[in-house]
Amino acid sequence: MKNKPDILEILGRAQTGEYCTQKEWDTKRIPLTIRSILKEHGLQKTCDLDDPVNTDMELADKFFAAGYQAALELGYLCTDTDRIIRVSQEELDNALKFAPSEITVGEGKDATVIKARTPSDPYPMMAATSLGITVSEDIYPTMAYLIAREPEVDILEAGSLTTIRGQEVLSGTPIETLMGYEHGVMHREARRKAGREGMGAIGCISAVTEFGQFGAYGTPGAFRNTDLALILFPSEMKIDYRTLHKVVHTLNMGGIMKCDSPGMIGGMPGPAEGAAVSSIACALLSYAILQNHVGGGEIYDVRYLSNVNREGLWALSIVYQALSRNTHTLCHGIANQVSGPGTENLLREIAAGVSVLAASGSSLTTGPRSAGGKLTDFVTPLECRFVAEISHAASAMELSKVNEVVKALLPKYEDSIKEPDLGVPFQKAYNMDTLEPTPEWEATYRKVKAECIELGIPLDEH
Amino acid sequence: MAAQEILDGLKAAVIEGEEEDAASFAEQAIDAGLKPMDIIKGAINVAMDVVGQDFEDGNAFLPELILAGDAARAALDIIVPTISADDLDGAVQGTVVIGTIFGDAHDIGKNIVSAILAAHGIKVVDLGINVPAKKYIEAALAEDAKIIAISSLITTSLPYHREVINTLTDRGEREKFFVIVGGGPVTPEWTAQIGADGYGRDARDAAVVVQELLQGLAAGEHAPLAEPITVGVLGQG
Repeated sequence: MKNKPDILEILGRAQTGEYCTQKEWDTKRIPLTIRSILKEHGLQKTCDLDDPVNTDMELADKFFAAGYQAALELGYLCTDTDRIIRVSQEELDNALKFAPSEITVGEGKDATVIKARTPSDPYPMMAATSLGITVSEDIYPTMAYLIAREPEVDILEAGSLTTIRGQEVLSGTPIETLMGYEHGVMHREARRKAGREGMGAIGCISAVTEFGQFGAYGTPGAFRNTDLALILFPSEMKIDYRTLHKVVHTLNMGGIMKCDSPGMIGGMPGPAEGAAVSSIACALLSYAILQNHVGGGEIYDVRYLSNVNREGLWALSIVYQALSRNTHTLCHGIANQVSGPGTENLLREIAAGVSVLAASGSSLTTGPRSAGGKLTDFVTPLECRFVAEISHAASAMELSKVNEVVKALLPKYEDSIKEPDLGVPFQKAYNMDTLEPTPEWEATYRKVKAECIELGIPLDEH
Repeated sequence: MAAQEILDGLKAAVIEGEEEDAASFAEQAIDAGLKPMDIIKGAINVAMDVVGQDFEDGNAFLPELILAGDAARAALDIIVPTISADDLDGAVQGTVVIGTIFGDAHDIGKNIVSAILAAHGIKVVDLGINVPAKKYIEAALAEDAKIIAISSLITTSLPYHREVINTLTDRGEREKFFVIVGGGPVTPEWTAQIGADGYGRDARDAAVVVQELLQGLAAGEHAPLAEPITVGVLGQG
């Protein structure tokens, strides 16, 4: 074998692999396998809440070995067929060998080059902003344009839409297919208007099913095949035909794709250590099964739907250190904030989460998830700028220094993670005539930025 | 075996998620002449409180919560039919049809709510993920459920909440079912906007909403409620 597994072979395994119900998968296969592997590798209770950024590279490598073993033992469950898609060691090794270590997203002078990194790598982690927080249709073009116009932002994702021309989009219907196309056209127009026609993108965040993606990706005028196709799939290590439809469509378009799914702290794999092993396994398998160009390593804590708490930050650090030190893959990470626009804590949560990702070796981040991504219009271009600034500035930082920064930031926000201040929507955080942040929001940004510089993140003071 | 020994065994079986053992201890408890409500309160509720607290504290995880819920349900299937009519008045009973709405493949929140509801003695019919509006209604009719519970994590699946309520209304069946909603992007405002009957911010809140609705049902209330019952709200500055 000279290359990664053939996609047709993989699709066949979704019909012929070992039969396993979701209940069996969720309550037996995942927890028992992960638990056994953690024990075998001596990784139980290694999460250090006093030092939430791991600095022990031997430990990171042990987690990689555990995740690699979990990938081979588990595979992905296809929930449409209740069949397990497994790959052999040779197939996994080849997929990792032939996975790209560098890709260009976008076109021409505006394009972004994403490279495989290692911890504290001087080549910066690239920043795509924002996450797909729902944005009102009338606000969307302005919001996407304002984010694209932020010079530090490398790649545009921007928000998601739930209506087109005032009509609610019911996913799976032809309206979703139409919405995908119209979303793609608006997205391209935002980049053009910002003077960054060739700027790379991730799309289409509004495409809940494959139909939205069919309308959006590769369609003339919408997302180009030099943009990253966005393919998300459910935890824990489960895929479905929707996922596979999107994969095949991207391959048909000659495109590039980012596929990921989080390991859930408190979920099926158990504690932070289990979620880390699961997340590493899930990321590794994606290169063999989904043939993506950019993979995951995501972490959430199910108790908070966040990962900027101590367990979450520790798991993020160990996962990206493990993946970046032991593969040349392009791993993507998300820091999931819970506080909202206009608040100091949103910016502190960004600083903590994004600096951990950047210094631990992630190649690309997408963010922010302002207000936990729960509320329509609760995201602004200013915190998108801050995500990109931290992403670039913290990349080369020593892990021990990032640990110090995080330990200084955490006490300021961790008690409010469960009951965060959700802040204010875009319309209140920005002057809607000048399209600039309100003086209050600008001052808050300046204050927390100065705080971060004081703590040692080498941000540009301007 | 002494009564306390049986209750301890049932409690341990639920905590460990051992369905067969839980059913066996439930039978022994009934055979030993223990009052059904004493068995529920003295063993099952206590066990689920332990598992729920362990989950909150990070000492137990979702599989344990689900398996404990299954074990509790297995025991309750044996205990509930033996409850006298007088005791039944004091016990919240009912069936909830639950699922993650069409367009959304996230099931963790829905699984937690299912387990917590089961632990409260409520029969839960889990329809899984990507559930179309019609399927909720058909399942609720088939199971004689009084509550339809809709879970969502992604904002773009929210329009289907309204679809469930509109379909119920158009079929002339809105009065038959309380509809409750929850999950990451769902808010009390959204709940009121679509005319749903209840919202819980987390699983425990959802259990409170279900119990209030079932108590209201027993007192003669029916859907739709003029104002939804909302428990737990998101903070906003």
